[in-house]
Amino acid sequence: MKKRMVFLLTVLMFVISITGFAKSKELVIAVNANFISLDPHNLSDTLSGTASATMYEGLLKYENDMTLKPLLAESYNISKDGLTYTFKIRKGIKFSDGTALDAKAVKYNFDRVMDKKKNLRRRRNFLAVQKVEAIGADTVKIILKTPYSPMLNRVASLKIISPAALKKYGDQGIITHPVGTGPYVYDRWVQGDKLVIRRNNSYWGEKPKVDKVTFKPVIENGSRIAMLQTGEADFIYPMPTEQVRRIKGNKNIEIMTGFSTISRYVTLNTTKDVFKNKKVRQAINYAVNKKAYAQVVKSGYLVPLTSPVPEALEYHVDQTPYAFNLEKAKKLMKEAGYPNGFTTSIWGSNNTEDMKGMQFINQQLAQIGIKVEVMPMEEGTLANSIYSAQTPEEAKINMWYVNWSSFDIDGATKNLFHSHFIPPVSANTAYYMNSKVDKMIDGGAIETNSKKRAKIYADMQSTIWDDAPWIFLGSDQLVSAKRKTTKNVYVMPDGAINLEKADTSK
Amino acid sequence: MRHYILKRLLNTIPIIIIVSILVFLFIHLIPGDPARLLAGHQATLEEITIMREQLGLNDPMYLQYFNFLKDFFSGHLGVSIKTGLPIKEMLIPRFKPTLYLAIFSIIWASIFGVVAGIISAVNRGKALDYFVMIGAISGISLPLFWLGLMLIQVFSVDLGWFPTGGIDGLKSYVLPSITLGAGIMSMIARYTRSSMIEILREPYIRTSRAKGVSEMLVVGKHALRNSLIDVVTIVGLQFGFLLAGSVLVETVFSIPGLGRLLIDSILFRDYTVIQVILLIFTLQFIVVNLVVDVMYGILNPKIRYE
Repeated sequence: MKKRMVFLLTVLMFVISITGFAKSKELVIAVNANFISLDPHNLSDTLSGTASATMYEGLLKYENDMTLKPLLAESYNISKDGLTYTFKIRKGIKFSDGTALDAKAVKYNFDRVMDKKKNLRRRRNFLAVQKVEAIGADTVKIILKTPYSPMLNRVASLKIISPAALKKYGDQGIITHPVGTGPYVYDRWVQGDKLVIRRNNSYWGEKPKVDKVTFKPVIENGSRIAMLQTGEADFIYPMPTEQVRRIKGNKNIEIMTGFSTISRYVTLNTTKDVFKNKKVRQAINYAVNKKAYAQVVKSGYLVPLTSPVPEALEYHVDQTPYAFNLEKAKKLMKEAGYPNGFTTSIWGSNNTEDMKGMQFINQQLAQIGIKVEVMPMEEGTLANSIYSAQTPEEAKINMWYVNWSSFDIDGATKNLFHSHFIPPVSANTAYYMNSKVDKMIDGGAIETNSKKRAKIYADMQSTIWDDAPWIFLGSDQLVSAKRKTTKNVYVMPDGAINLEKADTSK
Repeated sequence: MRHYILKRLLNTIPIIIIVSILVFLFIHLIPGDPARLLAGHQATLEEITIMREQLGLNDPMYLQYFNFLKDFFSGHLGVSIKTGLPIKEMLIPRFKPTLYLAIFSIIWASIFGVVAGIISAVNRGKALDYFVMIGAISGISLPLFWLGLMLIQVFSVDLGWFPTGGIDGLKSYVLPSITLGAGIMSMIARYTRSSMIEILREPYIRTSRAKGVSEMLVVGKHALRNSLIDVVTIVGLQFGFLLAGSVLVETVFSIPGLGRLLIDSILFRDYTVIQVILLIFTLQFIVVNLVVDVMYGILNPKIRYE
């Protein structure tokens, strides 16, 4: 009798464990904004990028440490003159609609994104490309107008869409009918509510371990944390830094941090009288305590900037920090002719954290007599105030509290420091115009020898650092949080969530 | 009555036209270039210029206005300039959550509000009256955001009774509708109380009491019926505000409703979507007002419309 009981119990346990295993593995990820588009060629926000990267792949991809590795391409080579990039496409890969990936499909994608008439948002990455050729079934040649060294980064940014799907659904339909080669496939997108993706069972690489992932936009920070606490969400990003302490004691939750390609700074309009003098700009940099900034505004989740480009990027070189030194700052102000300081204003967005940041700057600069009027603005108004000025003389901007993120050093400097990119053309709101720096930015982009390129970029960084057109604040640490049961979900330095190896023990 | 309703409907046509012009102008007058915001931080002038052209933002204002009207009344509603998706597709799934939220809130707020108001009025000056009115005043003054987050903390995180947000069955509406209805319930309670007190002083009430009609009947039938006229006005007005005012609650509880869509669209200067939502809110205000006026007539046939 006893034996029978034991046997029955064993069978029962076995059945339970089997049904347990058979339960589908699902993850819920709560994020802080809505998805805007799933057309990888026409999006510019990181969040939409995250979603499209689960379903689409590029010829190359970034490893976690931001180095590039072939993905849909098997290998590549660059001609000596830096004008021709040749990619061998991996064989046997199929899009999730069953059509094959080949050189023609890749060319189709390049042609689409480069089409001026379509004006897709990723076009800006390929302005240096003259044409793309498909040679045979598996070779693609990208021919440039001039050498352009960030080209590989730009190629990595282009996700390949199934041409058959593009033809079937059109440029608008493809937004809600994504068809790529990625590890996940589209399930459904309920606008404003959720986006659901499923495992791609015919994925050519290592198949995902979870069956289904649901992204939920939860804008309110408190609600996002509540979801994690109740287990309704398995992973949240961003984790609001000011609430980390509240959640630290919870044994089911783990906080994770990672470095980022985001730099935080305040531009100083170098054409304005008060900021014309380099000594004033340096004085301001000495007067701001970056460590205190990290603590006060980012709850410690920020590393001070040590160059105009964040550490995460290739070719970054550490500069001598503007260590907090009020005496030095006051001395410089005196030498510049402003012993008693002056009055100016700072612009920034009206979200809570940015307002706190601007208040901090106000308080720090008051120590050397600079009175800063804090002017938070709603994004649209802010953009209008900045970009409506057609010439530097018209510009009303004094200081702008802002941040920037880019994959490569060209992207992290050109729009911000090149004199051709002052508003309204782009975001050089420091109106920084230094012909030497212009030449270095241009030169770095076409230099094919990486040693020479490193030298140019090193010089460029030290020149800009010394000129101090910004208050160099810091580079964010990205903070996310997960249930202990969630495995291998992490945030990449650009803020995209990587789900390739995601798993759960729920 | 039918004649009256028809007349009222016809009267709303010029109002709708004027409102649609105002809505259109307001949106186009707020600073912020949608092309710049859509193209993003890193865009260059060239991209933005092409985008303005594509979005039709370079067309003369009157042409943009007519296109908007044409799209709206043909039911096609146009295309969102932010997402590129048809606005109709974006709106339809968002209607239900907002409407449900508003209806649930108004129902419980009306019932509890009227009951609280009557209790207060009948017990005027007594402890119970003060107690209920202190509750009502707190209801009006509590910030929605705070109330919502507190409810989530207590009933979702600590007790685990309700989901923290999202829309997953009727259960999901409990906490959000309590949050949204709290202020309105308090307002209704106060209005019911004061109008009830006034009516209880009227000669005809005194007469009924003198005639020996039970207090229950005096309060419950004679007084209540007349006080409800005031209450209906408030409920009607509040219902209009509810739809628009659900924005905060939808944010706290991650409800994919119209309010949140409106805020998202305003941030991106998604003109086409903002116009449509604002016009819908306006139309709904007009309809609710009409319903309120008709209710007057039903509650008190003495109120005549000629």
